[in-house]
Amino acid sequence: MALEMAGPQDGSGIGSRLSAMFSGGSSKNASHLSGKRNVFSELYLSQLIPAALLVIVGIVTIYSASLTIAEANFPRHLIGIALGIIVAAVIWRYDYRTLANMSTALLIIDCVLMLLPKVPGLGYSAKGMTGWVQLPLIHLRFQPSEIAKLVTIFLMASVAAQFNGKIESLRDYVRVCATLCVPFGLILILPDLGTGLIILFIGATIIVCAGARRSWVLVTIALIVVGATVVVATSMIDGLPHILKEYQLNRLIVFIDPSVDPTGDGYNLQQAKIAVGSGGILGKGFGNATQAANGFLPEAQTDFVFALFAEQFGFVGSLVLLGLYAWMIFSTILLAMRMDSPFSKLVLVGCVAMWSFQVLENVGMCIGIMPITGIPLPFISFGSSSMVAQIASVGIVQSVWKHRQKSA
Amino acid sequence: MDVKLIIIIVSAVVAVALIVVFVVFGRGEANFTFDIGGASPRAAGGSDTSGEKTVGNRLVGLAVGVAGIFAVLIARLWSMQLVSSDEYAAEAESNRTRTITTDAPRGRILDRNGTEIVTNRSSLTVVSSSDVVDDEIEVQLLANLIGMPFQAVRRKIQDTSEGAQSKRTISVDVSRRVVAFIAEHPGVFDGVDVVERSQRSYPLGSLAAHVIGYTGTVTSAQLEANDSEATGITYESGDIVGQSGIESEYESVLQGVKGEQTVYVDANGNVLDTSTTIDPQSGSDVILTIDATIQTAAEQSLATRMKEIQESGYNATGACVVCVDCTNGEVLAMASAPTYNPNVFVGGISTADWDALSSETANYPLMNRAIAGQYPSGSTIKALTSFAALDHGIADTSSSWYCTGYWTWSGNENDTTSGWHCWYKSGHGTMTFVTGITNSCDVVFYSIGKGFYYSDTQEGMQETFRRYGLGSSAGIDLPGEMSGRVPDAEWKWNYFTSSSDEARAWQGGDNCNLAIGQGDLLVTCLQMVDAYCGIANNGTIWRPHLLKSVKARTGEGSVIDYKPAVIYEPTEDATYRDTVCQGLHGVVYEEAASQAVHWTNLDVDVAGKTGTAQQNKDQPVGWFIGYGPTDNPKYVIGSNVDEVLSGATSAMYVVRDVFGAIYGQPDESTSNSDIVD
Repeated sequence: MALEMAGPQDGSGIGSRLSAMFSGGSSKNASHLSGKRNVFSELYLSQLIPAALLVIVGIVTIYSASLTIAEANFPRHLIGIALGIIVAAVIWRYDYRTLANMSTALLIIDCVLMLLPKVPGLGYSAKGMTGWVQLPLIHLRFQPSEIAKLVTIFLMASVAAQFNGKIESLRDYVRVCATLCVPFGLILILPDLGTGLIILFIGATIIVCAGARRSWVLVTIALIVVGATVVVATSMIDGLPHILKEYQLNRLIVFIDPSVDPTGDGYNLQQAKIAVGSGGILGKGFGNATQAANGFLPEAQTDFVFALFAEQFGFVGSLVLLGLYAWMIFSTILLAMRMDSPFSKLVLVGCVAMWSFQVLENVGMCIGIMPITGIPLPFISFGSSSMVAQIASVGIVQSVWKHRQKSA
Repeated sequence: MDVKLIIIIVSAVVAVALIVVFVVFGRGEANFTFDIGGASPRAAGGSDTSGEKTVGNRLVGLAVGVAGIFAVLIARLWSMQLVSSDEYAAEAESNRTRTITTDAPRGRILDRNGTEIVTNRSSLTVVSSSDVVDDEIEVQLLANLIGMPFQAVRRKIQDTSEGAQSKRTISVDVSRRVVAFIAEHPGVFDGVDVVERSQRSYPLGSLAAHVIGYTGTVTSAQLEANDSEATGITYESGDIVGQSGIESEYESVLQGVKGEQTVYVDANGNVLDTSTTIDPQSGSDVILTIDATIQTAAEQSLATRMKEIQESGYNATGACVVCVDCTNGEVLAMASAPTYNPNVFVGGISTADWDALSSETANYPLMNRAIAGQYPSGSTIKALTSFAALDHGIADTSSSWYCTGYWTWSGNENDTTSGWHCWYKSGHGTMTFVTGITNSCDVVFYSIGKGFYYSDTQEGMQETFRRYGLGSSAGIDLPGEMSGRVPDAEWKWNYFTSSSDEARAWQGGDNCNLAIGQGDLLVTCLQMVDAYCGIANNGTIWRPHLLKSVKARTGEGSVIDYKPAVIYEPTEDATYRDTVCQGLHGVVYEEAASQAVHWTNLDVDVAGKTGTAQQNKDQPVGWFIGYGPTDNPKYVIGSNVDEVLSGATSAMYVVRDVFGAIYGQPDESTSNSDIVD
């Protein structure tokens, strides 16, 4: 990240950056012009630049939140970013391909991370769930499930890549799905349904892209639909086991009909929509978010951060923000298409799935098209664990680029 | 509801699933068919079966799916931030702004010369927030400080009548010591504040209490009844409004326009900043036609005369006096006894005070007897009976009657069973119209009553009484005016429904009773004064009124001047009028020397009529209505005193006292009037 920041001042890099942006990162020209492999040829700029810009947007947004919201600690946000850049740099250097044959180890790491908060003495409760781990002595708190998301990407990619792009046998398909169920099941124990859904979505996307048979996928989706319906239905009817917590059910009800307000979720949704809608075309301007600043919009620095952003910068700002996400996601898909090895492709697919789902959910719930869940907006939301994980995911993409097989 | 929800959720999930399936699979392989259900066509595709190709296709699908997500998000943002942005902006604005109202002082009430009868004073009031009730120690300390029982303070804090959100009034008019103590111990009295509130104050005490009325907290019925568009006033729970008298009648004028302060608040309701401020506009001052000097004399007279009468062995349970300027209908004085102090209503009346004011033994101090006390008129009606007789030809100005002190319908003096006595049982002898009125000879008017019974216009008396305004309210600008009753055949038949047909029918005796103002006739003091205004003013009766003008809020001048209106114009032949007025003049100066002595010490020539009416009580009600100066009448003053010996020994003194106050010549004669009627 620090290297990238220095980039714009380096005139010799312009050509490579432009070509990287528009040709999917082929650095052929840059190499020829400079005559040596510089650091830019090892960076996939068309994914890095939008990610960096998103981090900057996040800094601006959280700074505005920190003006009025005590919980939005601006220095901590910066520390989280710095930490993320260090982790990303390490990952970038590291050859991710060694992970392709370590699926067992990855599964164990995943399980350990998921169960960490349940270890007595380490677990730390906040917002009604024990998703945090507080390390003794240094008082560092983090959410292992954020890191587990990345581990799951590698885990699923390594498992699914074994079939070389086509899962032909039902036994294999069931095995892959069962592997996914392990981290998903564990995270539901925490419980953290939001992260669970992300993991489910990541895994499912990887399985589909790994070449699972169409009919099996259809049957699986049908099973999930039926299962979800049964879960919701039993949670609503007295006397049957309530699998969903009451607040989760309330969020669903509020999503269907915002006028009912069982526990204030309807109010939260309404306030978020007012914040977004009142932003108008150009927004109220930096620092003028009356909804967030005056406390009407809850969790404006985390779950509802998009509402805070949209209120200040309006439709144009939202368009730019979504444009940056689109740029980053599509350039990653493009890279995935160019990669030869199925593992590389699936790792990138996992990252794409993670970003897409989190953007859809976070933005969607602020504008009333998704139910409310506590999912952070990548690169923007306040919260160091999420920030480190997201910037680390950029490191993963960069590592894929750096360790690509050089074609002739 | 639950079933509906499940259906919606299921269809939503299915819809999303179908879209995903379509996107992921629909793109990749061109020949997507269901019918074969197997894998054979794909096998023919050759390169299609390669894993690389499959993954490539699925990545394209992934890209399309992601594009779909962004399209949906942007479409929704478009609709919210561009299409419906104004509605959301309005909601955001209403979220963060609150309007705080500031009370406006009520207008003052002044007498015709500008003397303050009702004004405002600021009062130090202890208020507390509702959660103070949870802290028993604080409530106890507060109770000790103010000197109220613990439970009373508790109840005040729990009282939500001024609105659930508003501060609770604990005690009004607290001393500086209390204020200082609370200010010095902010930690102890958390949530308790001292505020300055505008309270009604009465510099002249209870003067004209029945006219001005009292104020109180707006009732829920008043809140509902108020049409804010018509009155221009929006009431909030806890507002002080007029509840009776002028305070109620001219509420819309006296009530000020609340100030408004728009403030920015945060989600917890804390005020962050002030946006706009509209200062409150105090209510307009109302100037009454009442003359504080005459009013004071009238009230003092009622009090002292009642006390005298009570000392002489009569009950004198209630009394009233009204002084009207007959040339325009202005009420110069209107007093009723027993009276009350409107100050007890300030800051909320206590239950004990209210019970005392509304109890029967206290003789209803809140009732304004001048407009709401209905009594038989007694002989004061005889002036109107005379007009009726002359108008309808029952008698003429030269008629004469002979009074033996006893009168029978048949004329047979030996009929002792069905006859009536004149009040003067020795008999007045030969009576003309003038002497008949002067001496209030009942025989004259029994004869007139009988005459009407056999005439073509059987209800001629009632018709004349109504021409002078009896039987209907005069429309004075006070709430609660009664209309009295002029009995006639139709009324009697409908009223006594449980009696026999004979008893329900109008009898000759009813006519005789009506002619002398007894029986079922009911009038108010104001009605009789109005009727005499008609006599004094040569047939023009102005609507009696108390409002002179409404003072402009700013600067000099008035915004509303009362426009006097004529309500009745009873026309009479000039010779009839002279006859009746001559009779009324005689009442004052000729009927009895003991009566005249009270008037000869007044420079102004006065005419009037006494009356003593039997009623359903042990003692009759005494009347006197007088007007003066006789050559150019201006003042008509009427009074009645309940449960006395006679009008000449009660109400007449009161009227004399008021005349004395007007002309600065108090009645110094101490002689008792003879018992005449």
